[in-house]
Amino acid sequence: MQPTPAIDIRYLRVDYGNFVAVDDLTLTVPPGEVFGLVGPNGAGKTSTFRVLTTLMEPTYGEVILSGVDVLEDIETARRIIGYMPDLAPVPSDLRVWEFLEFHAAAYHLGSRSQRRERVAECLEEVALTDQRNSWCKELSRGQTQRVVLAKTLLHRPSVLILDEPASGLDPLARRDLRQALRKLAATGATVFVSSHILSELAEMCSSLCVMNRGKLLASGTAEEVRKQLGSNERTITVSLLDRHQDAAVWLKSQNAVHDLRTTGQQVLFGFTGSDDEQADLMEGLIRLGARMRAFEEKRSTFEDILVEVAETNRKS
Amino acid sequence: MNRPQEPTRPSGWNIGANPIFRRYCRSRLRPQGLGVALLISVLIAGFLFFMSRATGRYQADLSMADAERAAVIPLLVFQALILFIFGTAQVAGGMTAESDEGVIDYQRLIPMNPLAKVFGYLFGLPVREYAMVFATLPFTAWALWQGEVAANVWIPLYTVFFSSALTYHLAGLVAGTVVKNRRWAFLVSIGLVFCLYTVIPQMARFGLVFFKYLTITPVFEECLPGILPKTAGSIVATGQRLVPLVKFFNLDFSETVFTLFSQGGLILTFIVMLCRRWRRAESLLLGKLWAAGLFIWVQILLLGNALPLIDPGNIFPSRELTRRFRLTQGWQPEGWEAVAMSGIYGLATLLLLFTLTKIITPSSDIQIRGWRRARKQGDTSLPFLSDAATAFGIVLVMALAGAGGWFVFTRAVVESRWFPGQEVPLGVLGFFTVVMLTGGLGFHALLEARGGRVVGLAVIFVGIVPLMIGAILSVSSNRLHPAASWVFGISPASAPVYASGTLLALSELPASVARAVPRAFYFWQAVSVLVTIWLIGRLHSTRKVIAKSAISARPTETTETNITENAS
Repeated sequence: MQPTPAIDIRYLRVDYGNFVAVDDLTLTVPPGEVFGLVGPNGAGKTSTFRVLTTLMEPTYGEVILSGVDVLEDIETARRIIGYMPDLAPVPSDLRVWEFLEFHAAAYHLGSRSQRRERVAECLEEVALTDQRNSWCKELSRGQTQRVVLAKTLLHRPSVLILDEPASGLDPLARRDLRQALRKLAATGATVFVSSHILSELAEMCSSLCVMNRGKLLASGTAEEVRKQLGSNERTITVSLLDRHQDAAVWLKSQNAVHDLRTTGQQVLFGFTGSDDEQADLMEGLIRLGARMRAFEEKRSTFEDILVEVAETNRKS
Repeated sequence: MNRPQEPTRPSGWNIGANPIFRRYCRSRLRPQGLGVALLISVLIAGFLFFMSRATGRYQADLSMADAERAAVIPLLVFQALILFIFGTAQVAGGMTAESDEGVIDYQRLIPMNPLAKVFGYLFGLPVREYAMVFATLPFTAWALWQGEVAANVWIPLYTVFFSSALTYHLAGLVAGTVVKNRRWAFLVSIGLVFCLYTVIPQMARFGLVFFKYLTITPVFEECLPGILPKTAGSIVATGQRLVPLVKFFNLDFSETVFTLFSQGGLILTFIVMLCRRWRRAESLLLGKLWAAGLFIWVQILLLGNALPLIDPGNIFPSRELTRRFRLTQGWQPEGWEAVAMSGIYGLATLLLLFTLTKIITPSSDIQIRGWRRARKQGDTSLPFLSDAATAFGIVLVMALAGAGGWFVFTRAVVESRWFPGQEVPLGVLGFFTVVMLTGGLGFHALLEARGGRVVGLAVIFVGIVPLMIGAILSVSSNRLHPAASWVFGISPASAPVYASGTLLALSELPASVARAVPRAFYFWQAVSVLVTIWLIGRLHSTRKVIAKSAISARPTETTETNITENAS
């Protein structure tokens, strides 16, 4: 029997007047995943998260978290959810421990000593024990993110929804966050995390999906996403000692080759074929009798893919 | 797998254990900030206390007890300043600050019931102001004790003082929840309190007596003889004997009970508004049934207070003037007073109708969501009282109730013993109904079909600009008075005043506008009726389109993804 999905989104749509922020999004995430949602600004990530966290009613669609319909049973859903919003706001008039103690009391996490213990645990989890007495307003961006993460963990939610948690974090803090999220997932919690930086999510998530202009474009593991987005694209540079023109004419006639140009001894072109086709290409050049000095390929980064997707969508 | 802890909901009433209240106690009662606030409060209260006492004792030669009494009123004014003005501003500003900082989302998600959240903010945000007032209370207690002020004087006074503070703080909380900008929320809340003590008393002079019970003024005036030095107090007491207890239809209430009754209704309404918003941020501020009930309740309060004052003549503005100058003998109200009072009653009713209509009318987004939900549940229509349902029926009921209340008031004033032989024919009720229906339903249909922005423009260009142009024309030349009357008549706000001026026989319009006002009234009412019918038609078709699109729309171009399948 399949386990109840931790997050089950069906035909979710969010309209702001005539603007469609989320367009028929359907998505299922099993429990214990660190699942990433990536997309450029305005992709619909925050709107999706606000619906998931019961902070906004969608235009239509269903959202079920661990078997609880968030549109029908808000109160129960709120107990399951731990939410860290974008920019992780903190109150300017409280100290770190006061902020956490307030939330511990609001979630009624036992007696005062039990609450203090839990606050200390969470501060330790985010490596902020030494900032316990600092004012929230005096923390750095990264520290603020971690305080809000600690707040999110307080009531041990089974579904964590983190909107851009890594923004503003230095590489060290990002590594700590990655480890913390994996640790949480190992305990059975499902983490749904968003970012506009695909490589960042690829590092910390077991699966991810890409959204743009409200639509889901691809999902799966990082490699699967790369394939689904048609990002087999690579730029190939061939350095030849002779027969440049013959090589260029022959390459141009190949199916997966495009945008070919020659500069001095080099022939540059875009290539969308498979790895086998690329090997055939090299073999073909050798058969042609051209003396090949180098054959370099450069694959698109995740950021390039995302930019390309965003640009294509913008143009369309 | 992690199990979420099962939180027990903190009770709304146990304010000491309320996490939001305790959070604000922490942040607003820190020794440094609180120390300065308390020091200033005690210094000012001490100054007022000793200054009043010394002035009474050594300058006015009052007895010891009377000199102590002299400090009660200055201290009360100071306390009112702290709690009514600073407290209300703090509540409105604090609430908006929560939205500004973005932390309000955390509070939305915490598993506390909405009432507990409202109480947490209500008592938590102004907790420093409460502390400041409590710091001044020892001076008040001493003055009351040594001044031999009876308990039946100061207990009602301070009960209404705190109930008024609650009312204003709740109004501030609503302002802070609705208004997005911190500065605007602050100004709206302060403006509200300011209006209650300046504008509202003027309305009371024109028959809208009920509104003054939203302030501490009636109870303060009732208690005045008991807190003033005895000689001054006895003069005030003699004057007050002329003024009976609060009359509500045939019932007599003390000022305290009636004030608490009036404020209680408003407090309850504010709490309902806030709870609805805490439950769902997109909710309308009031449900349809509550809005209709509130409208009818205000009508009953207005009539209940006003009608008993007609026979003794206390409702007429000129009566107050003649009493002040001791010219009551041979006093007779003027016909124009009755006409003006009728017009103002109609205008106040129309404005209340607009306000409540604005609150209960669903936007197109709310309508679409409602239809989608209905579709999900297999319904083919929206529940009549749901937020998404049209407010048309409720606005119709309120408009009819408003016209009825207005007619009852007008008839009672005009057919009173002061204007023998005057009658208000039943046909007037028909015109009053037309004014309320065209105003209310037209406003509603425009709002529901075209949205707030179009209504905003309509309010400016149809409601306000004609009044401005008319005012300029009327002061430019006497010859332009008829033209000004026609221009004034465009604004729906002028319709109730024009109706009273046109339909009541008591009306003595100046010769320059005697023909223009009735003609403008009938003409613009005819136009209003046609426009309203057209707008209702538009509303009907708009709602049909929304319902059709919501019910027939099927999700298209769905990209369905199952991570489990992908992973495998």
